[in-house]
Amino acid sequence: MEWTDILRFFRGPFFSISLIIFVGGMAYRLFRIVLLGWPRDRVESRGSKAVGVLRTYLKGLVFFPFIPWVRRTFARNSLTYIAGGLFHLSLFLVIFFATPHVLVWKSLLGFGWPTLPSPVVDGLSTIGIISLLLLLVNRLTHPVLKLITRSPVWLNWTLVFLPFVTGYAMTHRLLFRYEALFSLHMITVDILLIWIPLGRIPHFLFYFFSRTIHGAQAGKRAVTP
Amino acid sequence: MGEKTIYQQLKEEGFSRRDFMKFCGLLSGMMGLEFVVPAQALGALAGPDPSLLVAEALKSKPRLPLIWLELQDCAGCTEAISRSQSPSLVNLVLDKISVDYQETLMAAAGFQAEQARLDTMKKYHGQYVLVVEGSPSTGENGVFCTIGGRSNLDLLREAAEGAAAIIATGNCAAFGGIPKAKPNPTGARGVSEIITGKPIVNIPGCPAIPEVTTGTIAHFLVMGELPKTDSLRRPLTFYGHTIHDHCLRRPFYDAGKFAGGFDDDGARAGYCLYKLGCKGPTTYNACASLKWEQGLSYPVQSGHPCLGCSEPDFWDGGGFYQGQSAPLDRPTSAVIGTVAGVGTALGIAMAGANHLKKRNAGKRTTPSGKGSPE
Repeated sequence: MEWTDILRFFRGPFFSISLIIFVGGMAYRLFRIVLLGWPRDRVESRGSKAVGVLRTYLKGLVFFPFIPWVRRTFARNSLTYIAGGLFHLSLFLVIFFATPHVLVWKSLLGFGWPTLPSPVVDGLSTIGIISLLLLLVNRLTHPVLKLITRSPVWLNWTLVFLPFVTGYAMTHRLLFRYEALFSLHMITVDILLIWIPLGRIPHFLFYFFSRTIHGAQAGKRAVTP
Repeated sequence: MGEKTIYQQLKEEGFSRRDFMKFCGLLSGMMGLEFVVPAQALGALAGPDPSLLVAEALKSKPRLPLIWLELQDCAGCTEAISRSQSPSLVNLVLDKISVDYQETLMAAAGFQAEQARLDTMKKYHGQYVLVVEGSPSTGENGVFCTIGGRSNLDLLREAAEGAAAIIATGNCAAFGGIPKAKPNPTGARGVSEIITGKPIVNIPGCPAIPEVTTGTIAHFLVMGELPKTDSLRRPLTFYGHTIHDHCLRRPFYDAGKFAGGFDDDGARAGYCLYKLGCKGPTTYNACASLKWEQGLSYPVQSGHPCLGCSEPDFWDGGGFYQGQSAPLDRPTSAVIGTVAGVGTALGIAMAGANHLKKRNAGKRTTPSGKGSPE
């Protein structure tokens, strides 16, 4: 079996299957959780829910990332804060703005958008890989984290780390032939797609639900979220 | 053998010694001799200078009989060879060194032509080189392609039986090519999938680069064996690197400068064609180094992305203008919609079941008077 055959399988039918599992699984997880229900909020409205939602997003996504030291979380856990933040930023930018990835989005959605220059994407993925390694070391050495970390977390880390590394190796043609690296990248991406609905990664979607709900509650009570 | 050597033959046709040595030099360059281990077959005759090596071979060996079979093809590989603007190389190799039977080029036709093939096969049994262009059709015992009333499978097997070596030229003969594209109605295959037990080399391409085909023939003539190949039986000298490795637009790729269309500013500036579907990174061929028409240009240089024509199943490898990173298969929106619907329904059902469970649990606890449903 040639690498090109392996590549064709993981770029073709297996990718399709992974995507189907991902979409079905995410729909299931989403409705399963949204319909869990929450207690009726009988508190009298003292402020605007919309303002609360807006404030929480502005603070969480726009302001705090740039002035992290004002938060206690930062002071206590600066490594987690910085490495975690950089990891999420690089992951987002690489997935949505690297040229090869935009071509994937274009083929899936029918439209594309401008891309980031390759050297920038390269730098971002380097940052992502280093951040992930730092977070791993932290988790391996921190006495409390070590205690509360179970196998799904290690699996999570591995399955996110592998596409990063194989993608980086592929762009730089490290160690193996391009088709081999491309295949490895596709294999790891496909496995990640299947794993996402099963693990904790759906927070990329649920995050927005919880932020919206908490922001709305805070807004209604006229407190700072 | 009482036959004239190639050198004697060339001399009779008016080749001077200088012409001959020039030809040998060109031929050794074409074979990529500097990359291959000096011929062991020639033993003491082998000099350190590749062109001397070639000269010795041409001086001592008679012409190489060659039969060129055309099966399910467009004759494009023949066209490429016959029109290539390097008469001193390609035509000389084919005219003076070999070719006894070539349907497109030979003057003879009909039974006369078939007789020439049979005569060559008989006279040079076990010595001739068989070049196959076009894919053998295996469907319905090969009736989709018949020549002179005989199925192509028959002809191929017959010709392969007495061949010293087989050269499958063009993607069709090498891997099945365009006839093998989905749904492959004629059951097209690569030659090496049908013929076993013979040395076979593949020269894929659409068409194959003329100099690569003739270079491989020359290699067999000079060295007495087929060149070293990769796992897909392609000569390493010509297929050792990807188009991307030697691409003249490579610096733009590395810098992330891409043409977004065939006539945008990026295309005019000569930027990388990756976004336009270039298959260069996974395509092994000599286009970027040998180029075409005596080194004039090659597709990527001329502004068109590489189609990947020297790779197996290139016709089914995604759209020619679809970026290489894009998936080959994707679920239709109907499938995605259905799957999302099923997921949603399951999620709702599960949530409903949970509610019922909770309510029942509440009912069970109420009579005792200790707890409430909340």
